[in-house]
Amino acid sequence: MRTRVLLILLGLALLAGLPLVATSYYLYLAELAMINVIIAVGLNLLSGNCGQISLCNASFMGIGAYCSALCTTRLGLPTLISLPASVILAALLGAALGYPARRLSGLYLALITLGFLELVGFVLEEFPDYTGGIRGLKVPRPEIFGFSLQSNRLLYFFVFVLTVGAIAVGYNIQRSRFGRAFDAVRQSPFAAQALGIPVARVKMIAFSLNAAFAGFAGGLLAGVVGFIDPPEFGILTSIQHITFIVVGGLGSIAGSVAGAMVLTALPEVLRGVQEYGELVYGFILLGTLLFLPRGLVGLVARLEALRSAKPPAKEPAYGAP
Amino acid sequence: MTWRIILQLALSGLSIGSIYALVGLALVLPFKASGIVNFAQGEIVTFGAYLALILSGLGLPYLAVVPLVLIGAAALGMVIERLLIRPIVNQPEFTLVMVTFAIGFIIKAAIRLHWQDNTFSVEAPFVGPPLALGALRLNPAYLVFILSTVAVVAALFVFFGYSRFGKAMRATALDPIAAELMGIRIGSVFSAAWALSTMLGAFVGLLLGPVIGINPEIGHLILKGLIAAVIGGFSSLGGAVAGGLLLGLLETYAGAFFGATFKNLVPFGVLILLLLLRPQGLAGASSARRA
Amino acid sequence: MFGKRLRGLFCVAATLFVLSGQTRADEPGVTPDSISIGAFGPITGPAAYIGLAGRDGAIMAIKEINAAGGINGRKLSMTFEDDGHSPTKALAAVKKLIDQDHVFMIFCVAGSNGTLGTIDFVRENGRVMYVSFASAPGVTWPFARNMFRGGTTEVPRYGELYAEYLHDYLNATKIAILNGREEYPKNEGDALTAQLKNWYQIAPVKRAEFNIGDKDFTPQLLEIQGADPQVIAIFGNPAEAAIAMRQAKELGMNQRFFVGPTMVDQGLLSAAKQSAEGTSGFALIPLLPTSSNPEMKSWLAKWKQEYPNLPAGRPNTFDLLAYADIFVVADALKRAGKDLTTDKLIAALEATHEYRVGAIATPRTFTKKHHIGNLRLQAMQVRNGEWEPVPFESKRESDILKRYE
Repeated sequence: MRTRVLLILLGLALLAGLPLVATSYYLYLAELAMINVIIAVGLNLLSGNCGQISLCNASFMGIGAYCSALCTTRLGLPTLISLPASVILAALLGAALGYPARRLSGLYLALITLGFLELVGFVLEEFPDYTGGIRGLKVPRPEIFGFSLQSNRLLYFFVFVLTVGAIAVGYNIQRSRFGRAFDAVRQSPFAAQALGIPVARVKMIAFSLNAAFAGFAGGLLAGVVGFIDPPEFGILTSIQHITFIVVGGLGSIAGSVAGAMVLTALPEVLRGVQEYGELVYGFILLGTLLFLPRGLVGLVARLEALRSAKPPAKEPAYGAP
Repeated sequence: MTWRIILQLALSGLSIGSIYALVGLALVLPFKASGIVNFAQGEIVTFGAYLALILSGLGLPYLAVVPLVLIGAAALGMVIERLLIRPIVNQPEFTLVMVTFAIGFIIKAAIRLHWQDNTFSVEAPFVGPPLALGALRLNPAYLVFILSTVAVVAALFVFFGYSRFGKAMRATALDPIAAELMGIRIGSVFSAAWALSTMLGAFVGLLLGPVIGINPEIGHLILKGLIAAVIGGFSSLGGAVAGGLLLGLLETYAGAFFGATFKNLVPFGVLILLLLLRPQGLAGASSARRA
Repeated sequence: MFGKRLRGLFCVAATLFVLSGQTRADEPGVTPDSISIGAFGPITGPAAYIGLAGRDGAIMAIKEINAAGGINGRKLSMTFEDDGHSPTKALAAVKKLIDQDHVFMIFCVAGSNGTLGTIDFVRENGRVMYVSFASAPGVTWPFARNMFRGGTTEVPRYGELYAEYLHDYLNATKIAILNGREEYPKNEGDALTAQLKNWYQIAPVKRAEFNIGDKDFTPQLLEIQGADPQVIAIFGNPAEAAIAMRQAKELGMNQRFFVGPTMVDQGLLSAAKQSAEGTSGFALIPLLPTSSNPEMKSWLAKWKQEYPNLPAGRPNTFDLLAYADIFVVADALKRAGKDLTTDKLIAALEATHEYRVGAIATPRTFTKKHHIGNLRLQAMQVRNGEWEPVPFESKRESDILKRYE
């Protein structure tokens, strides 16, 4: 446990020190990775802990991105208001989805989230006077108290601090009674109901929290990239988000962080193979799913067990940090 | 809005619906046979179309291409099942779904690498000048789609309902452990189920290729097929067909009255309404999977 | 629990942060014997046919230039990055090329989506970016010294040429438009509509849209049939256009079609076959790869030698555009002289006047006031299953350059 905490702190220190040595390319990549970490932490609460499949995670990211972008460009609001606004809007819409979805599971839940995804895409594309439509929308850099974060380093630091905060919030939620309720609902909705847990309400809360994280990440993405368009928030992106938590390790915060960082870096690492990039990515994904059933977190646990020369008593508990 | 237009729209709605029906069938079959929703099925359709392209490029006539494609697809299905699905069949649903998605992704990427994004075509005997029905016109290919769909449904109905192997498949999908206890070799059943599914998917690609063109993106139809399957109640073959035809009609009329933007919206609007009000679809049993 | 440790980290990081400085190299990408060009475009995903062709055409041109001795004693080198047709990834590609690989200039063979994600960064950065394909207005408007547009022209210009051709050459006053709902086809439809109104005070008799991936166009076609147009303009992808054309013929519609530049190539003909006969459209290049012109034949032979294993459908328009544009850039690099800087390159590009590498390319002109290299498109028509050039010359003066005065 000690080693784990030290590793985490070492990782944080390295990340914090990145602006010293990195070019704007690596800073940008790290920012994208951190945004994906926020996504993964949120999605993990819904899908990893609460066991609800969602194919519309990218929509909530898009809602957050467009809300933040429009608040800043159309309404002239400062970032410190538009970001929280995106979180709130996304959370509300997450609850709006979670309510009718509360009675569905498995395939049917996946399909209704797919329907939601299409609906959001429709809204984004059909009102170009408001959203810029298919042509996309330019977004200015975030600014704090009137001071625009034009400097790459300041922007990086801004994203870094917010990401660490999001991870801490996610961790605390997982440890709280909400997190335990999520786990109960996943393991057996009937037993949970029998124990007095309001299953439908818990699912709705899970959707809402997931949406909040995704919306937050979307707001940050808009500011970091400076340009958003509807295809960025489609089905492929949603599936990409699911790969973060499945490859990282379902139910685990550390898994979400690791999965998001690795899978954000992977396409960049694969630049060398040029047009074979997609094929190689697919194979790596498939390989990870086949050979690392508990994700990267499971791999680490197995290595630790090997190192301590003890036979692994059992696979790490589902939902270990 | 004349009668001619209304009827012509109905005809084209049923035509495009027959495509959705086929794709819906291709999704319901693997679900019925093995309990897994195969998200690679769209790419299996694409695979079928490209395999037909390769074979007819070698000079083979269409009628010779058909059985070869089916055999090739069956082989692919068995390989996938043995090497990729069986090792992880006990993993959580997420992982299985992601694996089928990854398989589809790889197939599409490989196709795109070799053929790039050109649209190719193949000759087929059922492509020809439109049939005239009074003032209406119908492309004969769509007639072939409908007839094939009916034939496939009938064949599968007989297979699942009356043949030993078909019943063994249903039993395995329902409860693999009990099935094994009853002496069913579930390994063979799994392989066969996958082979059957990929054969059907490739068959759809074979039929569609000559009519809509062959390019890497035709797998996108799987989305409409999913909706068709849900409308019909996911485990009903006949329901998927009815769902597909209904979807085609809805879409076409919505497009005619409200424009292309609504054409895209209608299928998903219908989907959401159904899931909220009647998730078991039109033909499914009342005890659909609910929370 | 994390509070204290986190605060400590925060302080350390903030201090290090403030203490660090920044350096910038002067004239990166130029060494005594090489000039490095960074390029990006989609080589994965559904838009891959653009980026792959752009890359291959550009590399072939570079090899030719280097074989002939290079530029003022230096060889050209190209680093290519994928942008997956996404602005997020395009920005990553450009940041890598500029900040990591220190290229001298950027050659952009991406679509509009990807390009738009990078424009702000490149404008600020100051490296020259030469955009070969993207037609999004943001590339050249508002004007920026370091941004240049090569092969494709401004979208309003499409509208001008389409309107003039349809009205003055085909004598059509009843025009129907059927366009896909993606950015580029929608732009084309809008531009044509606007120009018909501006110059001729007529409106399209019907405008219908379709979704990318649609397989049935009966509702739209019936609507258009009811409006009885003389010409039907289709803007979108060859796959959809082919189905639409076939279905139109099935419904008994005999009007001629008019298509946008992305469909003036062999792909449409092999998909639509007979239904495409008589279709006209504008090509971005004066000769298609299937032309019998001797210069095109020898270029094609060179290309096939370089890329023997590529599928039918290659080379396409983008191979030729990128090839021609590399020569435009190389010509300017040569005139910029041995003592190469970004400013000198910009001055040399702005002095480019009607330059082209041969009959296989359209001439390019840049001035100090505007950086739109190409204002010409070649009108073509399908005759006996082949695209043939049509002797149409635009007589009206273009309005789009006026705003750069």
